Amino acid sequence: MSQLESAVERKVSVKDSRKLSKKLKNWTAYLFVIPSIIFICVFMLFPIAYNLIISFQNVTIMNLAGEREFVGWLNYINIFKDVNFTVSLKNSFLFTGLCIVFQFVIGFGFALFFNQKFPGRDLMRSLMLLAWMFPIVITATLFKWMLSNDYGIVNYVLLSIGIIDQPIHWLTESSTSLLGTIIGNVWIGIPFNMIILLSALQALPEDLYEAAKIDGANYLQRFIHITLPLLRPTILILLMLGIVYTFKVFDLIFIMTAGGPVNSSTVLPLYAYQLAFQQFEFSAGAAVASIMFVILSIFAGIYLWMIRKEEQ
Amino acid sequence: MMKKLFLLFAMSLFLFIAACSSSSTSSNDNDSSDSNSNEGKVQITWWDYNAPEATQQAINDIIAAYEKENPNVDIIRTYVPFADLKNKLLMGTAAGELPDIVAIDNPDHQAFSAAGVFADITKEVEEWGEADQYFEGPMSSTMYDGKNYGIPNSSNNLALYYNADMLKEAGIEPPQNWEELMVAAEKLTKEGVYGVAVSAIKTEQGTFQFLPFVWQQGSDLDKFNSQGTIDAINLWKELVDKGYMSKEVIAQDQEATAVQFATGKVAMMVNGTWQIPFLEKEAKVNWSVTTLPAGKEGSTILGGENWAITESSENKEIAWDIVKFIQKEEHLKNYLQTAGRLPSRKDVIQDPFWQNDEHLKTFADAMEVAKARAYGPDYPKISETVQEMIQQVLTGAKSSEDAVKEADEKIKPLLP
Repeated sequence: MSQLESAVERKVSVKDSRKLSKKLKNWTAYLFVIPSIIFICVFMLFPIAYNLIISFQNVTIMNLAGEREFVGWLNYINIFKDVNFTVSLKNSFLFTGLCIVFQFVIGFGFALFFNQKFPGRDLMRSLMLLAWMFPIVITATLFKWMLSNDYGIVNYVLLSIGIIDQPIHWLTESSTSLLGTIIGNVWIGIPFNMIILLSALQALPEDLYEAAKIDGANYLQRFIHITLPLLRPTILILLMLGIVYTFKVFDLIFIMTAGGPVNSSTVLPLYAYQLAFQQFEFSAGAAVASIMFVILSIFAGIYLWMIRKEEQ
Repeated sequence: MMKKLFLLFAMSLFLFIAACSSSSTSSNDNDSSDSNSNEGKVQITWWDYNAPEATQQAINDIIAAYEKENPNVDIIRTYVPFADLKNKLLMGTAAGELPDIVAIDNPDHQAFSAAGVFADITKEVEEWGEADQYFEGPMSSTMYDGKNYGIPNSSNNLALYYNADMLKEAGIEPPQNWEELMVAAEKLTKEGVYGVAVSAIKTEQGTFQFLPFVWQQGSDLDKFNSQGTIDAINLWKELVDKGYMSKEVIAQDQEATAVQFATGKVAMMVNGTWQIPFLEKEAKVNWSVTTLPAGKEGSTILGGENWAITESSENKEIAWDIVKFIQKEEHLKNYLQTAGRLPSRKDVIQDPFWQNDEHLKTFADAMEVAKARAYGPDYPKISETVQEMIQQVLTGAKSSEDAVKEADEKIKPLLP
């Protein structure tokens, strides 16, 4: 009896210690991820939550240090009524859409071009990357100069070769100011698209192309039936990143047009900045930031859904 | 190889940290060993945005002088870039961590006063009895609701810079009123040169440049929908439409305008006192400056910064004592001259430094009429409305009558 008991006890204690060691093992694993968990909480989750809370309060400069009232959806309702919000929302989608289309298509073209072997390829490829490495302040200022009405090189060239006979007021006319900033942003985005697509292209298996060639597929057919399907995951992540990056562009537009003339180039981040830091309407600014967060989450959701479908 | 590289990296990092820490302690004018024995001292924190080295030196001299006279006080100065100061103050307010003394751009003073960030020092200023030494404009920017929340530190205002050679060539005198301005702008405009430039950018600078023209026609923000405002915006619009002023002005800040003037691309420009050091150093043209051309009356706008003591400060008395100390002529003069700013005090401005220099005298004389942007705590929103109005008219999106009327409707409820 006692033997049995002790045996059971032993068994239990062995089991326990095994469990314990397993638990401990898990705990050490958790210990390793703690720094990143803390990082994510402090620098990502907390600001997002704080922003959300503020967007439902009535924080302005007047009660920044004092009592804050909970006002429900009031900030959101006011924003949806504001005509400037509609304009910025429309501009944001236009800006993001056009930038992505152009920088992706042109970047893809360059990637295919640099995927061939020719002398001087590596040098030119690195030169292309310069656009991506320049600080945006410099790029934006350069484009502001180049697109200037009076002494800008773009108008000068267009006038000299006779495409236009009046200088285009790129950044100072409501109808073209957004286009001007899109040109600048596409230029920045091309090398990024190029380098990602190029590295994916170079990883594609050579033998597939050889087999297709033997079967008599021409260049276009090989591109559509081999290159594109194989690049699909890369393209998806590239478009996703591109959309997120482009949707939150602030500095470039702020420097080139400051959102003007008359809000014609104001996008959502600029609108949020104006509300929060120029008019001191912190809650309204936070509400706009939350709306942006929701929009981007939808994009991220679509991306995840497509990736999952891919894996299935 | 990697090891060596790592060693090198670690060394440089170490040196970097060492360099940083030594410079930060020396800027406090105290060695670390010293600050241990400093425990009985009162620490006063101080924020300002004086960037150039010479100006910083002038500020540090004042601090050193005060600390010498008051050995029990330890002033810790922090430099905050101009563009960040407002945001840092806002964050400090939210976090409850504000300095004792802060320098602030004067159009923002009322908003922070109304928000309860700055301390009411009406009584102290009365006891001090030097308030009447200040020009009305700067002093009014420190007031809110009849109470005093600060002391002006330095001022600037707008005037008309002109290219003396170009005017001579065209055979004209510097314009003194709007008609002469229009004529001069026409005569001075030629291939590659615009007659005149303002800054109509969609920031506070745009409002800053536009308001004097509104005042010159007898209008103001509280009666914005009036002929005076319409005249003012029509003047700008006409200059642009006739090609005497570049359409680019709606995207140009005052610094960009100054660069164009300095390189001879613009014959006249509306700009501020602070451009003098830049033009003296960089301008490739022969320039001078005159008061802004008058409409029905002459007027100009006041810029500059004020000192404020925060409500959360635990040592308001010492902070106030320091502010008074800075305002003593011997300290103030040296700082203002180094920084290239105008005094806000009538007694200090009588100094030959401002009276004998022809450029500075134009600005100094205008201090009597320079008006501050003292329109209550909602001024940032009002300003934004004005900027939008200017741009609507200049781009032709709206007629001046409609744009002014709409702006007026938005401004009305925002005025105190």
